[in-house]
Amino acid sequence: MKPHEDKEFYVGYTEKAPPGIAKYVRLHVILMLLAVAATSLVLVMSQRPPDPGVFEFGTYRNFEGWIVEEPFPMLRMERPGRAYQSPTHSLYTLVVFGKFSANNAVKGLNGKKVRLKGSMIYRDDQIMLEVSDDPIEVLEDPGFPKDDLFGRDLGKITLAGEIVDSKCFLGVMKPGNLKVHKACAVRCISGGIPPALVVKDKEGNARYFILVSPEGRAMNKEVLDMVAEPVRVTGKAVGYDNLTLLYTDPRDIVITR
Amino acid sequence: MGLNYQAVGWNPQKKVYDRILVLGVLLYLIVFIVGGFIFFPTATIETLLIRAFGTAAMVLLHIILMIGPLCRLDTRFLPLLYNRRHMGVTMFLTALIHAFLVTMQYHAIGDANPIVSIFTANTAVDSLGGFPFQPLGFFALIILFLMAATSHDFWLRNLTPPVWKILHMGVYLAYLLLVGHVVLGVLQAETSPIPAVAMAVGIVLVVGLHIAAGYRDKVRVKERAHGTDYIDVCGVFEIPEKRARIVSMSGERVAIFKYDGKISAISNVCRHQNGPLGEGKIIDGCVTCPWHGFQYRPEDGRAPAPFEDKVPTFRVKLRGDRVMLHPIPNPPGTPVEPAVIGVDGGRR
Repeated sequence: MKPHEDKEFYVGYTEKAPPGIAKYVRLHVILMLLAVAATSLVLVMSQRPPDPGVFEFGTYRNFEGWIVEEPFPMLRMERPGRAYQSPTHSLYTLVVFGKFSANNAVKGLNGKKVRLKGSMIYRDDQIMLEVSDDPIEVLEDPGFPKDDLFGRDLGKITLAGEIVDSKCFLGVMKPGNLKVHKACAVRCISGGIPPALVVKDKEGNARYFILVSPEGRAMNKEVLDMVAEPVRVTGKAVGYDNLTLLYTDPRDIVITR
Repeated sequence: MGLNYQAVGWNPQKKVYDRILVLGVLLYLIVFIVGGFIFFPTATIETLLIRAFGTAAMVLLHIILMIGPLCRLDTRFLPLLYNRRHMGVTMFLTALIHAFLVTMQYHAIGDANPIVSIFTANTAVDSLGGFPFQPLGFFALIILFLMAATSHDFWLRNLTPPVWKILHMGVYLAYLLLVGHVVLGVLQAETSPIPAVAMAVGIVLVVGLHIAAGYRDKVRVKERAHGTDYIDVCGVFEIPEKRARIVSMSGERVAIFKYDGKISAISNVCRHQNGPLGEGKIIDGCVTCPWHGFQYRPEDGRAPAPFEDKVPTFRVKLRGDRVMLHPIPNPPGTPVEPAVIGVDGGRR
């Protein structure tokens, strides 16, 4: 028996702990609280810095442009004050609240000029709009600027990267990639959010390739097993305004883990 | 000890304990969230909340698991053990908030039931790197819920102490699942080695303290070979007044108490939560368990009226100044005449 055990005995339901035990516990509780605070600080500081995307949650603006329904909903907008040789238009992908694409919201509006209300989600040169519940207003149609929506064939390429759901990666969630975000990415892509292959260079700069089938159709369910994994994808890249689509067969997506 | 059940049998020490517990949890959460926004101004509040509550639950679980062996190594830590159940319930609630936020953030407002999604969103069970870590957290939370829900003495009494104890040993399974949840989850997405080192330090502390406490127990309580007759277990002078010496016979631990010139032996295992009665003290003529203060009369192993708990007793006699113990336990609550110590320390 230790000397202190001979002198004092602790019983929890008494008014006070014996003085020697109380002093000992008090000291250790203070040390424990300091350790708790230090642990909290160290853990929060050691996190991977949040991704740089932005989601203007709750801030709605009006946007005017032409609806593109396929392969996934987009709004084609004229770029104001464009620089020399830069695209004349921008394509904003459209989604709605939650983990869903805007397929239902824009149904039947392909090629129509509209005014809609949405929250911006953006990262690098990629912009997405979360369309509000307000009705989409069809404007006097001056004609869809189809003539200049030509794809720029970038050739057949093989890329290594990660398949993400474009909504979260562009700014809704931080982190919006890797394994911790996999379940959410699967739900989003399953719900129609365009899957994007993110390819990063050595400096961490990202390039985005939205995956579509070889026929140019949306390809969501087919890639679910490959989401948030390191993959190698071979396909034909085609640029449209600020977006690059990668036409690929699911069999040409290989997990490299 | 209680005859009538109430939600919490408050006493001054429990109030102090709970205040410090709440203060500690709030301190952790505030440092994490405020620090998160200071160091990473573009962080989202959802992510910080998820991580703050998740890591707070893990830190609490480590403290909970360390309290037991700490008390075995140094009884001055017993005040931390007395109200540990409140810490367990707090840990469960903290983990529940983490799980709720994660489910809402990652699984809700989608094309599948959020709970079903936890199990179907990632099915790469054949790969260690891709292994689905969220179901591990889900199952751990179920265990923690069962423990929190049955933490009250009402359940201890109705489930019976052995069943209750087995159920609450589930904390080790929950810990194992949560280590897997962290190692196969967030640690795979972090670039800094610090979170992995923190997890490793936690595991080493928990495992190391358990090994140290087990070793101390093994050294202190020697196993005695025995037959069906009295055996010599110790000298009278080896037992401090109003305290006990613990002996082990074929795994059965017996607490031999010396008090008021007498020697009595009862089972070392408290009926309440298997506390070590032999580390207790005779207070007001009763053996008092060091864990939660449950009491038993040394002569018959019965709790004083109006309580009804009882433990097995053992026959003892003195041969000179040696304590002789009969290894066959009597049924719980059986009165046994104490051995009376003579003036020379031996049999009168």
